[in-house]
Amino acid sequence: MKKLQFFILFTMIAGMLHAQNTYMLYSYKGNVSVVDNNTTTAAKLGKTLSANAIVKLGNGASVTLLCNQAAMFSFSKAGSYKLSSYTDLCKPGKNSVSANYVKYVWAQMTKDHGSPGSNRKAYMNTVGAVSRSINNIWVDPRLDTVNYSTGAFPLSWKSYASADNFDFKLFSSDNLTTPIFQKEVHKKKIPIKDFTSAMKPGNTYYWSAAIKGENNEELKVLHYYSDDDFQKFEKKLKAQGPESETEAQQAYRLAFMLEDAHFLSEAFKYYQKADELDKDNVLYRNTLMSFRKDYELK
Amino acid sequence: MSTDNHQHEPESKKKEKKKFHRHLTKYLTERDTVFATIWVFIFIFVLGSIPLNLGVINPIKLSLKDFDSNDMSYSKLGKAKTTPPDSNIVVVNIGTIDREGLAMMIDKVASYHPKVMALDAYFSGPRDPAQDSILRETFAKNPNLIAASILQLSGKEGDTAVERGNYFKTAHQFAYVNFFQDSISTFRAFEPFYEDYAKKKYTSFSAAVVKAYNPEAYELLEKKGHHHKVLINYSRHPSQYLTVDFDNLMMMNESDSAIFAHKIVLFGYVNNDPNDITDKKFTPMNKKFYGKSVPDMNGIYIHANIISMALEKNYIKKLPSWVNLLIAIIICWFHMSFFIHYYLESHIWFHLAAKLAQVASAIFFVWLGIYLYDKYRLKVDLKLSLIVIVMAVDVIYFYEAWAVWMHRKFKYRTVFKPHNH
Repeated sequence: MKKLQFFILFTMIAGMLHAQNTYMLYSYKGNVSVVDNNTTTAAKLGKTLSANAIVKLGNGASVTLLCNQAAMFSFSKAGSYKLSSYTDLCKPGKNSVSANYVKYVWAQMTKDHGSPGSNRKAYMNTVGAVSRSINNIWVDPRLDTVNYSTGAFPLSWKSYASADNFDFKLFSSDNLTTPIFQKEVHKKKIPIKDFTSAMKPGNTYYWSAAIKGENNEELKVLHYYSDDDFQKFEKKLKAQGPESETEAQQAYRLAFMLEDAHFLSEAFKYYQKADELDKDNVLYRNTLMSFRKDYELK
Repeated sequence: MSTDNHQHEPESKKKEKKKFHRHLTKYLTERDTVFATIWVFIFIFVLGSIPLNLGVINPIKLSLKDFDSNDMSYSKLGKAKTTPPDSNIVVVNIGTIDREGLAMMIDKVASYHPKVMALDAYFSGPRDPAQDSILRETFAKNPNLIAASILQLSGKEGDTAVERGNYFKTAHQFAYVNFFQDSISTFRAFEPFYEDYAKKKYTSFSAAVVKAYNPEAYELLEKKGHHHKVLINYSRHPSQYLTVDFDNLMMMNESDSAIFAHKIVLFGYVNNDPNDITDKKFTPMNKKFYGKSVPDMNGIYIHANIISMALEKNYIKKLPSWVNLLIAIIICWFHMSFFIHYYLESHIWFHLAAKLAQVASAIFFVWLGIYLYDKYRLKVDLKLSLIVIVMAVDVIYFYEAWAVWMHRKFKYRTVFKPHNH
């Protein structure tokens, strides 16, 4: 009986060992290193990795691994990847051409393709010129310097080239080479709230946006104000108004003055307030709508 | 009460089924259906026999000149995406390296004992004497290296061949790298062998590699490619071949020899930049399967795909032309029966029904072609079938006039009557 138990145990262990995946480093780009058997080495094409290896990727690096000579998968974001956590990727992919055909035909039949004449936004991105050291990103001069204290206000940009992915980078004033925050975004804007945790009130920061894979050396300024500092400034502005001013008028005046002082997020709050307090005022409504449009506030 | 319902339902369903069945078959055996079908093919034959290129101003014909619906399966339907990499083949990117560097790469790879090496680059004449001498020596000392040459054809029939691009005569074997086709067409087939007027046989680059690596697989290729073009079964994208460039290779040492040992090593120019089209060809794997596009695959990966196909023996089978014709006749016959039914009995709906049937049939038959190609590697040419479906509608009008005229003149029996609708 004991022999039988031992045999079953042995078979199970042998089976488990046999089931361990083996990986091969198939291709890589950038700074990639591998930790295998507690030894860190630089990535090498064709290198065999054990199931417990860890692959480390630096910024902009990518790696493709081949598992069990059957399935390929890639990592393209910076970080550490423990291969034992990705055993699911070792299953050979299943792909039904017929199912994909039905999906494709249906998508094509139901998709509105638009035309250059009717969809300017989609078709005006093709540029008929070469670029000469000018980056493909344009930032509205009004966003050149932004003072910010609170609110969900986005930093936005335009792209001359057709691109879906952008790199947003935030730098502190004492180090303009290594970003303190960076994120790949799929829209041409990023809410400031997304990176307030990386900033400290009372400091000045610099930001840039670039098409993924490109560099944009043009930096824009972001002053991060503490609540107290902003309230002091706001109080000053409030005090400048006439006594007969209604609440809506005051809100509109404050919004205008805050926008002028580059407190765009706060200005937006007051434009909204003015509109809410005096819904019949066409000027308030139009100004709010223009503000929304100019700063991609949708 | 419930029993009544149960008896009622099947009957109504049966009636519906019969009705639908009648739509398709009522006129199936009518002589008009058969003759109208024949007329469709007469029209196609006559139009096709006009010795003028009427497609010269036809944008649809021009844009569809190189169109194959099966290409869609690569670009849109994910075919070959999950094919595991070919572990028999390693591609070495020679980039724009000079002759000395090339010799160094070949020697380094040779030290890892690959079974076959093949260089997809030809040399038309001398350059730097020192570099030439080094490469000449490398060619001489590696008997398992296959060097590229190009066949230059001349003579009225193009049956006189001269090998060019083989400046370094020290190579133990040369094989031609020509593809006998228009350089701006999609590379769908290759000729494994070429025979000149004197029956001298030349072996293509890929065939020579297969012969050196696996004689058994070569036998089959020889059988299939004897006096024939062989369709290329593209099973892998470039990323599914292990590609080593100069820097990678120079970093390797004896511990990495397993990458090359006993394998096929193809030396060729590789560039992943879509704007660099040097040695790139159009293949069915192009992301754009219709309209204007840029070449997508370096020649070395086309050779790699051919070699993979030969080693894995997964050739594409092509249906004989007579089978394609037979399929087209049957499809046309069924469609004609359906169209005549609507033409005579529900003429008001005829055009709508015909257009819907044409669209549905086109979608179905394109799927069928893709399915057979993907599942059984069977290439069915359904172009003629699609043409007959389109033409059938127009031919009905002609046929009606012809049948009525025949009826008046020769008492020809027909279901069409003057002013029938």
